[in-house]
Amino acid sequence: MDEKHTTITRRDFVRGSVAAALGVSVPAKAWEQSTGRSSTVLLVRNEKALGAGNEVNVQVLRQMLGQTVLHVMGTKSEKEAWRSLANPEEIVGLVPTSHLNPTHRELIEAVRSALIEAGIPQNHIRMATGAEDDAKACSALIALPALKAHWLTGIGTVLKNYILFSGQPSRYHDANNSKLGEIWNMPHVKGKTRLVLVDALRPLCDKGPQPDPRYMWNYSGLIAGRDPVAVETVSLKIITEKRRALRGEPWPLSPPPLCVLAADQKYGLGTSNLSEIRIDRLGWSQDSLV
Amino acid sequence: MLRRHGIYPNLVLQVSVEGEIIVRSVPLVLFWAVISAVLISCQGSRGKEEIMRHEAGPSPAISPAFSRERETVAASLPLRVGAWTRSDKARIITSQNIFDYMDGAGELYIGYRFRLLDVYEYSSADQDDILVEIYWMDTSDDAFGLLSNDWGGDAIALGASESEENKNPIAPHHRALYGAGLLRIWSDNLYARVMAYRASETSRGAVLDIGRAIVAGRKDPSEPALLRVLPPGSHPSFRLRPDRLCYFRSHLVLNSIYFLSTGNILNLGPNAEAVTAPYEIPAGSGKRASFRSLLIHYSGESEAREALRHFLGTYVPEKAPGTPGTNLGTDEVLKIEDGWMGYQLKGAYLCLVFECPSAEVARSFINQALKGVSKAEAVHG
Repeated sequence: MDEKHTTITRRDFVRGSVAAALGVSVPAKAWEQSTGRSSTVLLVRNEKALGAGNEVNVQVLRQMLGQTVLHVMGTKSEKEAWRSLANPEEIVGLVPTSHLNPTHRELIEAVRSALIEAGIPQNHIRMATGAEDDAKACSALIALPALKAHWLTGIGTVLKNYILFSGQPSRYHDANNSKLGEIWNMPHVKGKTRLVLVDALRPLCDKGPQPDPRYMWNYSGLIAGRDPVAVETVSLKIITEKRRALRGEPWPLSPPPLCVLAADQKYGLGTSNLSEIRIDRLGWSQDSLV
Repeated sequence: MLRRHGIYPNLVLQVSVEGEIIVRSVPLVLFWAVISAVLISCQGSRGKEEIMRHEAGPSPAISPAFSRERETVAASLPLRVGAWTRSDKARIITSQNIFDYMDGAGELYIGYRFRLLDVYEYSSADQDDILVEIYWMDTSDDAFGLLSNDWGGDAIALGASESEENKNPIAPHHRALYGAGLLRIWSDNLYARVMAYRASETSRGAVLDIGRAIVAGRKDPSEPALLRVLPPGSHPSFRLRPDRLCYFRSHLVLNSIYFLSTGNILNLGPNAEAVTAPYEIPAGSGKRASFRSLLIHYSGESEAREALRHFLGTYVPEKAPGTPGTNLGTDEVLKIEDGWMGYQLKGAYLCLVFECPSAEVARSFINQALKGVSKAEAVHG
């Protein structure tokens, strides 16, 4: 195909023709049929989640996690909430960010412990971070990405978290990062994600994924939902607003996070329109940025 | 004490600076050659894609002079600094394993003609670690480019005062910048990141001491000559924003500074060099306005001409050469959605300008920049 039809340029953004340039052609999306294009994302924050040295307060984190699953699943008990995410017969894969500003291990352990307490056998819980076989081996996935900007994709959080499940990560680099949503529709991945839980304890708003402490701050939050695109969109808003606050003027992510729009409009994974997302908030509200 | 977060857990090599790299790097190359052949033959396109990623650059030739340079820096690193003790051996990261070390970030260094990375860690019984990354680049310009990605932070004077030839630079007059525990250094063909996992006054002192040791006795070449082409101001009262100036070679870096296209539509690469910076009318002087400049120096005239053809065909397809009724030349100013853009080809140089408030502003900048090109060409013969 002629490059001018496959390459997205700055002019496409200015003209508002990005969707057309992305080749949007999916007329009806499964998630729309079930939800009517609306999603809920939960933001839980606690200013005591991190200590003076940025160490995690495990007790506070576990409280936040409990609040999160109760609210997202709408159950009366935490145990019930986790059991509604996965049953004991299932193999549950935990999918954290394992490299460069990784998911806090305390969060991974808290999720693992909660699943075990809810009756999921320990040997039915595995880390699913390596390759497509990890996803194939699991019947349920819990995405646990860390919130960060990414110099190649704009944002490198929810959608990018499954890149290794593709078996061909290089297919989704550079100009092809807008296709990251495609991975979520692969047969060994599709429909398995029960919860998207973003580690927003200490995000990175520029120069990611390589750590740069000038752009990291204690947000002390968890962002959760069942619509990966909505969770990514709220995460993106937080990053964008933090950048604006740092510079005192708009400081858009560059390159623009095409993968988020494409995940909505091309791959039908959820909504990237903030007006279609209800944000529920629990806990600390100062500087929430969203 | 362990660092607070395992940021770089996946390291492959650990060899000493003193010569062992040569012994280890040869089998590594052979290893990749064998793996490449097997994967290509067995996996078709999938194998090729993975291999292309790992073949971002050939294993660097380790000349005796380069080995000596690395040894000198390694020897100058203090074994102890404050409460911290250095690891005795460097971890060696090459273009073959940089993606194992920093998946998603290696492209940045490869894009600046990366040769090798030496990694050290300073640990302490009661403090978080300090990570030292010394990136060896092909040239001083490449190391400068890495620093120019972000001029934020506090300027730190680590070495001797500047030589006369380095006076009045176009870019900020900084060789080292510190902020929140991270020190970034440009020192000749070396770019370094020294990062305390937990910033404190104590760790700041240690980080700066390590920085001073890295640059001790090293040359301080001038900023890239290409920057001299940029005029400090442009008609009518635009001023260059030096703190937003970036020198680069890769379209990925350009996109991280100023998104132009998902593709490499300007044919950028290791054999080209480019600089981009915004020009603004300073706040307080009336209506705020700005535009974006982009100047590229290709390896030759034909490369520059081909790059312009590629750019026009993708970015301005409705007016590209060959389109009925239009035929843009090598010197044009035209109105597009976000303002006036302009370009002009001059020998191996391509000057572009975007988002200008008027055709006059675009034309004026290009004329000024190309005068700088003429001067540069006269100097270099």
